[in-house]
Amino acid sequence: MGSPRTACLLLPLFPLAARLRSEPELTREALVVVEGNGNAARVVAATRAARAAGVRPGLSLPQARALCPKLVARPRDEECERAAQEALLEVAEAFSPRVEDAGEGTAYLDLEGLERHYPGPTPELDLGRSLMAAADAAGLPARVGIATSKLAARIAAGLPDPPVLVPTGEEAAFLAPLPLQRLAPEVNVAGTLERWGVRSVGDFAKLPASRVASRLGRTGRELHATARGIDPRPLIPREPPPAFHEGMSLEWPLVALEPFLFVGRAALDRLCQRLESSGYAAIRLELSLRLEPDGHQERAIALPAPTRDVKTLLTLVRLELEARPPGAPVAGFSFAAHPDRPREAQLSMYGPAALSPDKLATTLARLFALLGPERVGSPRPMDGHSPERFNLVEFTPPPPPEVRREPRAGRGLLAVRVLRPPLEIEVITHGAGPEGSAYQAPLEVRTPASEEAVKRPRVEGEVKVASGPWGLEEDWWADDPVGRDYWDVELAGRGLYRIYRERATGVWYADGIYD
Amino acid sequence: MAQPLASKTLLEMPEMPEMPPGMAAGNVAQTLRLLRSSMPEAFRSRLRSARELDRDNREAAGEGAFRTAVPALDRLLDGGLPRGQLVELVGGRSSGRFSTLLAVLAAATSVGEAAALVDLGDGLDPTAVLTLGADLERLLWLRPTRLKDALAAAEMLLASGFPLVVLDLGQPPVRGGRGVEAAWLRLARAARAHDAALLVGAPYRVSGTAAGVVLKAERARATWMGQGASPRLLAECSSQLVLEKRRGQLPGRTEGFTLAAPGAPRPAVAAPVLPEARPRVREERPALTAAPFLRRAAAG
Repeated sequence: MGSPRTACLLLPLFPLAARLRSEPELTREALVVVEGNGNAARVVAATRAARAAGVRPGLSLPQARALCPKLVARPRDEECERAAQEALLEVAEAFSPRVEDAGEGTAYLDLEGLERHYPGPTPELDLGRSLMAAADAAGLPARVGIATSKLAARIAAGLPDPPVLVPTGEEAAFLAPLPLQRLAPEVNVAGTLERWGVRSVGDFAKLPASRVASRLGRTGRELHATARGIDPRPLIPREPPPAFHEGMSLEWPLVALEPFLFVGRAALDRLCQRLESSGYAAIRLELSLRLEPDGHQERAIALPAPTRDVKTLLTLVRLELEARPPGAPVAGFSFAAHPDRPREAQLSMYGPAALSPDKLATTLARLFALLGPERVGSPRPMDGHSPERFNLVEFTPPPPPEVRREPRAGRGLLAVRVLRPPLEIEVITHGAGPEGSAYQAPLEVRTPASEEAVKRPRVEGEVKVASGPWGLEEDWWADDPVGRDYWDVELAGRGLYRIYRERATGVWYADGIYD
Repeated sequence: MAQPLASKTLLEMPEMPEMPPGMAAGNVAQTLRLLRSSMPEAFRSRLRSARELDRDNREAAGEGAFRTAVPALDRLLDGGLPRGQLVELVGGRSSGRFSTLLAVLAAATSVGEAAALVDLGDGLDPTAVLTLGADLERLLWLRPTRLKDALAAAEMLLASGFPLVVLDLGQPPVRGGRGVEAAWLRLARAARAHDAALLVGAPYRVSGTAAGVVLKAERARATWMGQGASPRLLAECSSQLVLEKRRGQLPGRTEGFTLAAPGAPRPAVAAPVLPEARPRVREERPALTAAPFLRRAAAG
């Protein structure tokens, strides 16, 4: 078995690539990403069109504008960069279970065992091409280098004509002709070494290790080792993140909902694409708003079932913001989707068809948005005897039976249509019992005139037959005990009702229609 | 009902005209379109796609219909609720309409199908539907407050693949009146497109031309146990269903049905009250202690 191979997935000009992923319409423009404020802002990265006009990293923004008057400038955006880095790691994780997050548009993959998926004569080359194609599909123009050490893989990824492969054991020979800046651009020792007359990695590797260590310290010793192709740093796999993030800082603060939803939709599109590529769906969506001039708001939208339907999520965001407007211009936003496995269904050959879990989740989320969560669910009876009480639970139907059954013969029972809330009525009674007692049978029923009563079914008429009273006592130990005397009454030509008299107040109510 | 392509029709088919140029090869859809346009009108109007033909044949054979476990309804609908059609059940107060809708839901969920109740009147008592034998885990209950929302919700449910959607408009006054006919047509089309059964319960006709079947539940007649000044007990309600409209059938067929009051002694429900049953009922009745729904629970 050979040495474990490592691939480096590198996103060149990372701040620019991250910005273009969020605003792809700027790809062909002369765009620069700057760091800093006002005239002190420095160009960090520039597009091809800007570079053609002479704009280089390190120039100040006024200098860059002098070179290219139509220059579009964008500040570095942490949200965009975080989302792009996460997306890059997710592309890598689609290929290998062991992925290291090296930050700033760099990810390392452990390729052990992956060559079996590419049976051609050049498995590593095919793998590298597939990696680049997958990254490109995610809106990330990444490059790939494959070597035995992480350092060699990263340097190979930075070379033209990717994917670049470095054969095992040839790391030192591969690195030797390269300029010293390639070795560690972030460590500024190249200037010192050039003053010593050392110009290439190969020249540096020929120096005695002890002398380098005594002059350049620990950094120099490590650099010398890497120049000789020795990279002892192991690959450190990352833990999967608890949430997927997408967002961006806005060029202008937004005060209206529609423009926000326009940019929000693009971010949700990217978020759902990432969820899908990872095999997840969102069970909870969090929206973080950065407000102008200062301030921050967090919103959380719980979903009834895991979904990755952009339209549904956008509708829920719209409803949330309409219900509780931020109250200040929005300067930036971030969505965080908490992942969960989407529901799966087993197809049945002989039984009833199961509902598509994806469609069901989307429909439930849309129904939540349309009617409100307290009006959608699976009904359950509650402990106790008050008929108007009920419980609603999440609708998660069990899998259908494997074989279709014939329905049992119906019980032919008369059901009561509950009136929620109970309808207050006036009842004329008579009977042998004392005035106001339970034994006073209803003789006539009327609905008192009120604005509310106009919107409710009218319950009135002479009582033809009355059956009762049926006592109900509940929660006698609590502060608000229930004490009622129920009657079933048939009104002349008006139907069958269930009415009751509240013992505490003596007020009559109709709470159901036998229908 | 669609007319299948009978052999007689094929024999009567006139001679085909000349094949249009460029038809032999290439785009299949274009070829079919050309072929269809070149046919005489009388023949073209009888053409069906394979899917339509299969559905028409299944409908004709009564296959795929939802058995409702309400014998009167099954008999009137020749086997059960037809899939792909809007069935409207009209009924006033105490007509047995709501009980019938709940029985249909109970029958569907008890055999493992998922079903949804869009309950505009917000009148469902979960205990009642459980007593009817429903599997509550397979029942989705929506409680919209406006007819417009109820129609939109029902359309979403049909599109998501629910095989049975029951929409009940409650008792008048219905918020939203009769709704817009276009919305009912959309609903009927959604039911047809997804081959789902859609049952609409309303106090008056609402769906206009969209309904494939219209049934009317007549006002029920209540039967009470006990006489005169003696304590009474609601025993049962009798009503009848009238077929008011069904495509391809003459209206007017009726079927009677009886619904037993919850908790009423079963012999009294199955047959007219027997003379010897009366005293026993009177003795069993625990006066002033149990509300009707408590009796129902006790009766199992």
